[in-house]
Amino acid sequence: MPTATRPTDAARARLARIVLGACGAVLLASGAAQAGEAKADLLVTGAKPDRLFLIDAASRSVHAEYRVAGAAGQIFTILISPDERTAYLLVDRMERIVGVDLETGRETFRADLSTPGERVKDFFAMALSPDGRELVAYELPTLLKPSEYLVEEPRFAVFRTDAGLAAKAVRSFRAPRRIAMLLARPNGKSFYAIGFDLYEYDLRTGKLLGTRGIQQWNVPEHAQPDLLAFWPVTEPTGIFTSPVYTEVKQGGQSTPTTALMSLDLKSGELAYHDFEPLSALIFSTVLSPDRKHAYGVYTTLSSIDVRNHRLEKRVPLDHTFYDVNVSSDGREIYLGGTNCDVAFYDAASLSKKAILKLPGCGDQTLSTLRVIHRP
Amino acid sequence: MSNLKPTNRKAELLLDAVAEGHVAEVLAMENVAGCATTFDPGWEVDPFGGVASLCQPMEADLYGCSDPCWWPAQVPDTMNTYPDWDAGKPSAPADWRNLDSVFPKK
Repeated sequence: MPTATRPTDAARARLARIVLGACGAVLLASGAAQAGEAKADLLVTGAKPDRLFLIDAASRSVHAEYRVAGAAGQIFTILISPDERTAYLLVDRMERIVGVDLETGRETFRADLSTPGERVKDFFAMALSPDGRELVAYELPTLLKPSEYLVEEPRFAVFRTDAGLAAKAVRSFRAPRRIAMLLARPNGKSFYAIGFDLYEYDLRTGKLLGTRGIQQWNVPEHAQPDLLAFWPVTEPTGIFTSPVYTEVKQGGQSTPTTALMSLDLKSGELAYHDFEPLSALIFSTVLSPDRKHAYGVYTTLSSIDVRNHRLEKRVPLDHTFYDVNVSSDGREIYLGGTNCDVAFYDAASLSKKAILKLPGCGDQTLSTLRVIHRP
Repeated sequence: MSNLKPTNRKAELLLDAVAEGHVAEVLAMENVAGCATTFDPGWEVDPFGGVASLCQPMEADLYGCSDPCWWPAQVPDTMNTYPDWDAGKPSAPADWRNLDSVFPKK
């Protein structure tokens, strides 16, 4: 039985209210993607309590709104299948993963992680194999005994995405603690797990293939870094980037410094480059299609010159946004997370172009902001 | 442990067990047995020692921090114990006045 619903045409028309941030004008639009556009960007985001939105970036309108049954308050991590037809969502207070058909809103996959007597949470971290056939979840299990909780060892659990609405793990293997993000490598053989350090695991056997330092990064004259990695955005380049905070110790002085971490999923190259003495917080970043700029977001929007390792420009935002993405042509920056507005900024000038208020105005909170494409 | 003194029988038994090597290694409760995915003490100060660089406004951050139990001391445990705390209140900027205090069940 479908557990996600597509709104009626009338509802969609009501939902498609656009607020243009620059002038405050309010427009009404159909919300449908304009025909004939090649590879138009659609944004995918979640909002409280159970809404999944597809947003047509060009028209700044809601393309579709689905109600995800059992979301129980919030949609956390969002993964997109390789064919961009299915979104996999972490819901139900991090105890359920569902797959939703993005054309119909129909639920095609469900994995309930907890069982009677064992509560299992997945703290944000999950990944799809590059062929879309397997999904890896990071499971944190607790036995609920009559008089005590018994903390069990964390594990990676692998599900087949064609397993339907009662999916069970087909294999699992031991995982380290404190993992907050998984990223599948395009070779289909392994995946990264990001926590205090960067681990690589064999997808089939669970064998630990390598560990590289994040907290133990051994960068000369740099203190132990700090990293917040919740949003597994690697489009459009296949490179994950994130701000990293450290202190540079030189000449008896210690300078709080922001660096950009980049992890190329294909080559495995991991790099860190300082780009400014700490002057503003950044929660998450995305790399431009030409790989020349990284855009970071929090209470300000920052543009970073990736090749020369310097801050290019920074502008204040209307409020804090958690996560950021970039248009496929590199010309626009998309901001999401926190409240119910998705913002569109010019990538070159960092000027605000538009703001779309989501229907119902539910907070996006920590939901991932993804970019997919439609003809 | 040398600076801690037991105040009840259970704590005394725990000390005995530690001395006899019968206690398993302490494990971080990352898996949200109650509500503590992190050890953040609560509303933070920013890296500059003030609050100007925290999320603005606070309501932009409220659910983003309560949903994953980032503020375990300040907001209810919506992970496990009070999952309906924010039910019917999807927008923190609009609904914060309706977010109630919670009290342990007797």
